[in-house]
Amino acid sequence: MLAVLDGGTYYHHETIHGPRYRGLFDRVLYAPELTPAALRDIAVLIVPDRMSPLLLHRHRDLLLGHLARGRTLVVLGENEPQSWIPGVIWSPRPTNFWWWLEKGAVPPHRFPRPDHEFFRHVAPGDTVWHFHGVLTPPAGAETLVAVPADPEGRDAGGALFYDDRSTTPGRLMLATLDPFYHHGSHFMPATTRFLDGFLPWMRDLARA
Amino acid sequence: MRSTTCAEAGAVPRQALLLTCGHVETAGAALSRHATPDRAILALDQYALDAAPLEGCAGLLIGMHSDQRFLAAHAGRLERYLRQGGSMVVNGHVAYPFLPGASSFQPVPGGHPRDLEVHRERAHPIWAGVSAHDLTFRRGVAGFYGRGWHRPPEGALVIHSLGQERWPLDIIWRVGAGRVLLHGGNDLWQFGDGIAPRLLAWLFDESGAL
Repeated sequence: MLAVLDGGTYYHHETIHGPRYRGLFDRVLYAPELTPAALRDIAVLIVPDRMSPLLLHRHRDLLLGHLARGRTLVVLGENEPQSWIPGVIWSPRPTNFWWWLEKGAVPPHRFPRPDHEFFRHVAPGDTVWHFHGVLTPPAGAETLVAVPADPEGRDAGGALFYDDRSTTPGRLMLATLDPFYHHGSHFMPATTRFLDGFLPWMRDLARA
Repeated sequence: MRSTTCAEAGAVPRQALLLTCGHVETAGAALSRHATPDRAILALDQYALDAAPLEGCAGLLIGMHSDQRFLAAHAGRLERYLRQGGSMVVNGHVAYPFLPGASSFQPVPGGHPRDLEVHRERAHPIWAGVSAHDLTFRRGVAGFYGRGWHRPPEGALVIHSLGQERWPLDIIWRVGAGRVLLHGGNDLWQFGDGIAPRLLAWLFDESGAL
């Protein structure tokens, strides 16, 4: 079963309850009311971008328990995972919303694992939009989307999306990308294409 | 920014409450820069609204990242606050029924930049000195200020609209003795230092003018 947390914002409402993706989710869990019973039969739980980090911190034991039971947890961007998932390292970067307006702009994104299953569902170019900080993946994690070191020396580069099947008995997919917000705001077509590929993959993974 | 509750009912209301959404360090920074001792902004996590008396608050500020389902569960309380003379500034797309008189958000049809052009329907002090052109474009890109519309309640003032069809974007209306400003896009206080201080002046205006 595939479940998604619902933060009750307008963009969670549009992305989760809108007609485009609603049929993919087996269960929608309103985040303030999350209970252990609601997760018992869930294989894959998606924590959309831009949930309240305070709420995620409050539900930390439930969310980490999901991983400890060998299940899959997907955590998207702007959720301050470094404050509630052990071992997560995140460095902020000023967000460049304008990279695509610069003359001859080439996005810095790299795809070190082009043969990863992720890319059978999501085209590399559909992960490319502005980003909100970079993650340092733990040993054993597979980096799916990477960026090189910050040109102004704020960080040594890292991942925008990694798949960690090493650190816990479960599988943690962690990203700094925020597609629920942008799709749900009718804003950025790349984020819709990302979800068009990613969410059906999650449904298949949850039902496998 | 201070974190407490507004003064007791009966005190002169000189404080507004900003509901925050868990990002404690960055919440409302662009707005709070313009607060003064007699126009204080108190930050309160949205889920603590239950415990906060609203009666002493000059205004309630609700950002685009708010949990509207939670707010909708408190719609009666919000409406009572407004009817008794409170003021609310609400940003974002209305997806749940938490705001008396507000309809659900609809995206503007069409994908051309002219569909996202901001039109000034009438002058208003909050936007004095800021042109509709400046609201429309950031670095030549349209759509940051708003991408959709809400149906205005009876008697509402529409300040800005979008596109040739003039879809209502910034709307102000009365609820009882109180008033609501709905900006159907990204948080108003993000749009430069011109708007935020005037927004606070409006919120703290004791005349209650729309």
